[in-house]
Amino acid sequence: MATMSERPQNVLAPTLSRRQFIKAGGILVVGFSVAGPELLKADTAKPAVLKNSLDPTLGSSWIEVHPDSTILIRTGKNDFGQGSTFTAYRQIVADELSVPFEAITTVVQGHTDQTPDGSGAFDFLGGGTPNIRKAAAYTYQALLDLASEKLGVPKAKLSVKDGIVSGNGKSISYGDLVKNQQLKLTIPVKGDLTSIIGLTVEGNPPMKPVSEYTVIGKSFKNSVISSKVAAKETWATDVRLPGMLHARVVHPKTLGSTLVSAGSVDKSKFPHSQVIVKGNLVGVIAPTEWEAILAAEQVASATKWTEWKGLPGNAKLYQHLRDEADWKTTPVTKGEANKGDAASTLASAHKKLSATYQLAYMKHAPIGPTMAVADVKADGTVHIYTHNQNPQELRGEIAMMLRTTPDHVIVHAYPGPGHYGRSNGGNAGAEDEAVLLSQAVGKPVRVQWMRADDMRWSTQSPAAFSDVQLAIDEKGKIAAYQIDHYMPAMQDDRLIGAVLAGLPTMPAPNPKGDFISSTANGISDPWVYAPVPNVIERGHGTFQVGQQASPLAVGLRDHSMRTPGQFQQNYPRELAISEAATLAGADALQFRIDHATEERVIGVLKAVRDASGWDTRPSPRPDAVSTGSTPIRGRGVSLMFRNQTYWACVCQIAVTPDKGTIMVEKSTIAVDPGIVINPMQLKRNVEGGAVMGISHALFEEMLFDESGITTDDWISYPIPSMADIGEIKVVLLNNPKVGTYGGGSEAPNALAASAIAAALHDATGKVMRRLPMKPPYVQALLKT
Amino acid sequence: MVTLNVNGVRHDVEAPDDTPLLYVLRNDLQLIGPQFGCGLAQCGACSVLVEGKEVRSCITPVASVANQEITTLEGLPARWAKQESLSVEEAKNTLHPVQQAWIEEQTPQCGFCQNGMMIKATELLESNPNPTLAQIKDAFTNSGPSPNLCRCGTYVAIIEAVQHAATIMAKGR
Repeated sequence: MATMSERPQNVLAPTLSRRQFIKAGGILVVGFSVAGPELLKADTAKPAVLKNSLDPTLGSSWIEVHPDSTILIRTGKNDFGQGSTFTAYRQIVADELSVPFEAITTVVQGHTDQTPDGSGAFDFLGGGTPNIRKAAAYTYQALLDLASEKLGVPKAKLSVKDGIVSGNGKSISYGDLVKNQQLKLTIPVKGDLTSIIGLTVEGNPPMKPVSEYTVIGKSFKNSVISSKVAAKETWATDVRLPGMLHARVVHPKTLGSTLVSAGSVDKSKFPHSQVIVKGNLVGVIAPTEWEAILAAEQVASATKWTEWKGLPGNAKLYQHLRDEADWKTTPVTKGEANKGDAASTLASAHKKLSATYQLAYMKHAPIGPTMAVADVKADGTVHIYTHNQNPQELRGEIAMMLRTTPDHVIVHAYPGPGHYGRSNGGNAGAEDEAVLLSQAVGKPVRVQWMRADDMRWSTQSPAAFSDVQLAIDEKGKIAAYQIDHYMPAMQDDRLIGAVLAGLPTMPAPNPKGDFISSTANGISDPWVYAPVPNVIERGHGTFQVGQQASPLAVGLRDHSMRTPGQFQQNYPRELAISEAATLAGADALQFRIDHATEERVIGVLKAVRDASGWDTRPSPRPDAVSTGSTPIRGRGVSLMFRNQTYWACVCQIAVTPDKGTIMVEKSTIAVDPGIVINPMQLKRNVEGGAVMGISHALFEEMLFDESGITTDDWISYPIPSMADIGEIKVVLLNNPKVGTYGGGSEAPNALAASAIAAALHDATGKVMRRLPMKPPYVQALLKT
Repeated sequence: MVTLNVNGVRHDVEAPDDTPLLYVLRNDLQLIGPQFGCGLAQCGACSVLVEGKEVRSCITPVASVANQEITTLEGLPARWAKQESLSVEEAKNTLHPVQQAWIEEQTPQCGFCQNGMMIKATELLESNPNPTLAQIKDAFTNSGPSPNLCRCGTYVAIIEAVQHAATIMAKGR
């Protein structure tokens, strides 16, 4: 199996320049080069250089090596609780540079004027080669060049341990190599800084062989956890600027209402408050937060909106999606695994499954509602202090809204509540509103959404349904598999404040949009059952529900959510595979092994079987019952491949039929990411994902009427409490021979639903093909 | 004018009596441990201890806790130091065992709810130094106005951290 060190090397001529000798200090900074674009591929665009960005001609940097041998790293990716920038990134850089973990003393992240590459809080490990790894690999070569020159030893004879370069009996530390000099290494990059994926480091510098890793693989602690736990971290919620005012926004009455008249402030009660109106955006501003809250409530009660009833309401959602949504305008996508002739095989099937699976809308529901502080200066410079998954993209969108250029916008990134994808297109919610209100009053303004604003006016994970047809042959094998996935557009990056104010935004999802704004529904659940001879996967996309009917062009806006799209496609597939096993009279876990050839697929399935205590037999269990008050137990399994990582999950549940309640007594997840970078961090990410998966499966359903979203707090949109969670067991399969590391934060939240549904079938003999499996829905199913 | 006793320090605060304690702590006293999560006492992100009991500061009128002993996340180390009679020098470098355990167990993901989780853990361990798994689950689910909610799903890590904190506290200083 190939390892990283055997990859083709194409260094694209990084250049090391010596500016001057200086008397004290000294530094090696790694910036990015636009000097040598001719070395890049012909289709590579020269990255734009913006004011208020790291200037590539100056000390703009990814990595700084200091004379005391400490190291600073910079990344545009902003931590959202995954911990990767504070643990994995340090470990990756430490191994590439052959320094201890502790040598990397500072991680700068997110701030648009202090980090080089943009992109979002997702796919931190970048398919095994995140930007920071290549930047470190280039830096290592430059340090070897410096040492070779300084020691008079050929580069090939040098070795490095703990930041000390040695060869031919001589040695020197990194710190001494850079001391009293200003060194600048430029490396090649390409891309668009304010796009969703930002800039990418080019070339293939030589990388440390996996066999020489000493830092990767150990459970180093996440430094930001220590500061958060000790109340020493500055969160976005803590930013207070001199002269700052507090604001609340009075959002429209419905998702299609326009403003008739804004209420005015009762000055007898709220003497210091004022109302700002821009189009359909109504803001209330006051010197103190409590006055802003009360004044906004009073203004809201006096504000008049048009009525609108343009949504189907959740009771008619699936009928609307099936019969009324426009699936014809958007081109159908096809899976890469499509092969054979599924249609004719299905027509003459020995045994056949035809079924439809439905998933509800879900809210990202961060535990803290979105907020931001904006400070629009007199010269037009905009400062935004926020918690956002893609600060550079937000920067571009704010510039678009203000009809200016991104160099006038600086986004300062701080910790905050997890967004699980909601702001990875730059749009968290409050930032643009804060900018517009700050612009109006000429002072810094802090906009805090209340819980109901956050539930009603944020984007959601789209509802979806899938039609499956599947044929089993006489030998009990899948002869044909056909799935049609239907899902409204999933990535509405429009800033809601800009939409309400009637200002420019990114396009609403449409059939001709680019890969971000398209209504197309791509196939995003890689096929893992290679031996199946006939496979058809198709993706059908459409506009967001209500988007075209809403006078505001709003409707039910959607946005990617942890394991986006793949959850909507993997849940129906995996439940259908479990149903297929039943049709074939086979054990659902062994059935999967029997339909796999990839050894890593088989590996995670065997690992989860052993760790969960799986009892091999067909489902449903022989004594399955669907009535009574006695809990009955069942188990189900699911499988996924995502971001170069293989996942298998077993859920063991107890169902109480007459109550329709399900308790997941034990969840077991086996994960093979290739190389495990930080076992503790990965384990915690997987545990959290497993709990969120139980939440998706059993609790979460965004409800709406004909006008808007009706689930607006933690009572109407419940998530699990601690008592709702049983045992969670995580099995980490460190698999270094793979030679790279896959992602670990996404996927675990998408494994439980299909496994729990299969377990419900195992226990009761009844199949529920709808999420969430709330007690009333389970009760109704079991009565059929 | 309301007089508050927060983390052992007296503060005279100019705020309307009905102002929720949370806004006074965050905006007037710069105590940023408690977070705004829902404003409805449904999640626990804003929790503080009042006379040793977990209270949701987002719905607690500031006047209702005048002159009572309020402890925020920032005050947990001093609370432990006082309980254990640590010297000033020892106290300076000692986090509350709950905080130590939260770091040792790498409990938080985003960490936004963890203020309330650590406050709840402190309340629990002060009254029950060696809680069973069932007692821990009961405390975090049923003892407050609502369950303490974590959207990142860190409940397993919280349970392990509470158990770890109990062992640190049992050893004492």
